Amino acid sequence: MKLSDKVTISAQVMARVVGDETVILDLASGTYYGLDMVGARMWQLMTEGQTLAQVCETMLAEYEVSSEDIERDVLALVQTLLEKQLVSADV
Amino acid sequence: MSVSLQTLGARPQAPLSQKPFHQWTFPNGTEWTLFYRLNSGYLLRFPDLADFEVSRDGRIAAVWPAPGVSPGTVEHLHLNQVLPLALSRQGRLVLHASAVEIDGKGVAFTGESGRGKSTLAASFATTGSRFLTDDGLQLDWLDGQCRITPSHPSVRLWEDSQDALIPQAVDLAPAVEYTTKARLLAGDAMVFCDQSQPLRRVYFLGEGVGQSLIIEAVQPAEALMQLVRNSFLLDIEEKELLAWHFDEMVRLAELPIYYRLDYPRCYEDLPHVRGAIIRHVLDEES
Repeated sequence: MKLSDKVTISAQVMARVVGDETVILDLASGTYYGLDMVGARMWQLMTEGQTLAQVCETMLAEYEVSSEDIERDVLALVQTLLEKQLVSADV
Repeated sequence: MSVSLQTLGARPQAPLSQKPFHQWTFPNGTEWTLFYRLNSGYLLRFPDLADFEVSRDGRIAAVWPAPGVSPGTVEHLHLNQVLPLALSRQGRLVLHASAVEIDGKGVAFTGESGRGKSTLAASFATTGSRFLTDDGLQLDWLDGQCRITPSHPSVRLWEDSQDALIPQAVDLAPAVEYTTKARLLAGDAMVFCDQSQPLRRVYFLGEGVGQSLIIEAVQPAEALMQLVRNSFLLDIEEKELLAWHFDEMVRLAELPIYYRLDYPRCYEDLPHVRGAIIRHVLDEES
């Protein structure tokens, strides 16, 4: 994945905001996943159709972290979501 | 809503050509329940005990006991295993939880088997409170309020809990073949609440390895996962039902009523445990 890419949420995925977190259910496998507050915000931005670069830019404005850390964390989250087939790459 | 059960003649459990889509096993690997799909609904097979067929909508069930299995065993299986699953097909929310009524408030205890759900229910019901269920907790929303619907007026206990908690005046249901748990019937000595109560607390029971009693608030996302883990749901592969169930769990999890409860498991300490729970339930209402 490149920062200029976007992701598309898989059709069988349900995501709900619960408190400060987001809980995801993969209907295909019946598996549940949890995203903490930071991950939930990244997920929300990705699902709004932003490129990964735009997600990083928004996160940088909201959190006091370096751009290298944000890029690493966003790409790591995307990689996990791809492996679990919760999203697909929209290159 | 209820489940209409028809008991048919005893019949041997013929091998099935299809594989079960799901199964429950005991910790030692022995099969407990095998789940099969039928054109009309589901077959729940309890090996060497009984075959239950449940309609797709969960409203009708039929049972064929295995030869030599007692009616008491069939009733026990129906009440504790099949009924909660059938109700889930009706769109009912059913949890692996016991519940008691404390000062007009419904208080639920949930957790893995053996954590003490039934012991707590019996402990309260024999000391001035009333119990609503010992398992298969049914929840319904009414005018925006989540309420506990009472279940069967009985509590199942292992012998040690029975000896420690239950006065001799309590009646027993007939023994069953597959468990040494006794089913104790409600009465004056162990009081049942037959009216729905508002759900005010859900306690997730810990393992009891600590040295003291703790009660800690549980955040909504963790509560959601605990509720999912402790729900009855027949056919988790059916996406429409699974999606509905998820949204219902989210709605439940948003209530500010979830706590982790743990305490050393010692019968002599139960009055202290009950007192702490009662104070906790009543404190935030004042």
